[in-house]
Amino acid sequence: MSEQAPRINAPLLEQFQNRVVRVVGKVLELRGDTATIDSHGSITIFLDRDSQLIVGRATEIVGKVQPDLTIKVMSAVDFGTNIDFNVYDSLVEVNHLYKEIFYDG
Amino acid sequence: MNYGDNNYSTNSYGGGGGAGGGGFVNNYSGSQGGGASQQTPGSVSRTRGTSTLRPVTIKQILEAVQPHPETEFRIDDLELAHITFVAQIRNISVQATNITYIVEDGTGIMEVKRWIDTDSIADDSSSSKLAANQYIRVIGTLKPIGGKRHVGAHQIHAITDFNEVQYHLLEAAAIHLHFTRGPPEQFAPAGSTEATPYGQPANIKGRDTAMGGMGGVQGGAGGANCPPNASMMARRVFDAIRSLPQNNDGIHTNIISQKSGMAMPEVLRGVDELLTLGVAYTTTDDSHIAVMDF
Repeated sequence: MSEQAPRINAPLLEQFQNRVVRVVGKVLELRGDTATIDSHGSITIFLDRDSQLIVGRATEIVGKVQPDLTIKVMSAVDFGTNIDFNVYDSLVEVNHLYKEIFYDG
Repeated sequence: MNYGDNNYSTNSYGGGGGAGGGGFVNNYSGSQGGGASQQTPGSVSRTRGTSTLRPVTIKQILEAVQPHPETEFRIDDLELAHITFVAQIRNISVQATNITYIVEDGTGIMEVKRWIDTDSIADDSSSSKLAANQYIRVIGTLKPIGGKRHVGAHQIHAITDFNEVQYHLLEAAAIHLHFTRGPPEQFAPAGSTEATPYGQPANIKGRDTAMGGMGGVQGGAGGANCPPNASMMARRVFDAIRSLPQNNDGIHTNIISQKSGMAMPEVLRGVDELLTLGVAYTTTDDSHIAVMDF
């Protein structure tokens, strides 16, 4: 497990290629070991064996952004059904604006 | 947002350590007699920072500095007492005297130790329900042991509403910005005497040192303000000078120290910064400081 996993959403995928990130999103679709989540835009993710996603619920994944801007999931946590995604988007903004308390580099 | 208040309660009697005995009794009678003002008599160095609970990220904990061994850790140049954070459990190991959790919040990894209290069985069962990958809120204190840091937890509980994860990180950022850039009110449109977002009239001088509060902006004509980039130390010196009657001779640094409850080295650093910023100047000698009234 990497020591830092900055919180991002879909528009920031390109900036974080090959880095381990955290994303909170809503599960849109599940197809075997891949899934699509929405986090200010849709993201295709590749699941590990333990991840248990449920369509329609929020999830937080930790994973590595691949060169094709998909994410290879290392762990996923169910975040329930009452997540305010606007707050998450604001947090992503704050994370990168004041990154001195969130991540290096 | 009350976190900062206790931290900046200053001794309004002007004395150093001699003004009062134990904190609680005097504090209570002080607030009875003094109305709204929050006074904390007693030694400034002992009262400052001892009763704060600050929300932080693990990165902030890892980067907290300890100026000298055996002194309190500092974040943003502010003493830490209790800290709170939200993180995900990565590993749990149960030992004879404590349970050690390795936790991670996306900003860093930290070890959290919860001492096992043999007297309270109920306590044990609540923490043994925690599992890897679960999000928890920790309230505790930062401990250095042999150069390695860990957090001694007073309380750990599982997060059930995951908005709390986002909330906590935003709160940590808000507090960090409060202490590094000053209270948010100063970024309100200049000259506004209307209500602030907190519903208080903007012309209440909230950062008055005798009140111990931090918020507020001096509204109206003739009100002088610290530049937004001034540090908290410079701000407190500035406010201490502003709170005293102004004259051509300026204010002696000893008086600033008494008025603000700051130690002399901190006062001098604040004064230096104000001089560099061009908002204060020395008068009859280097120890007398006056502020620009613009």
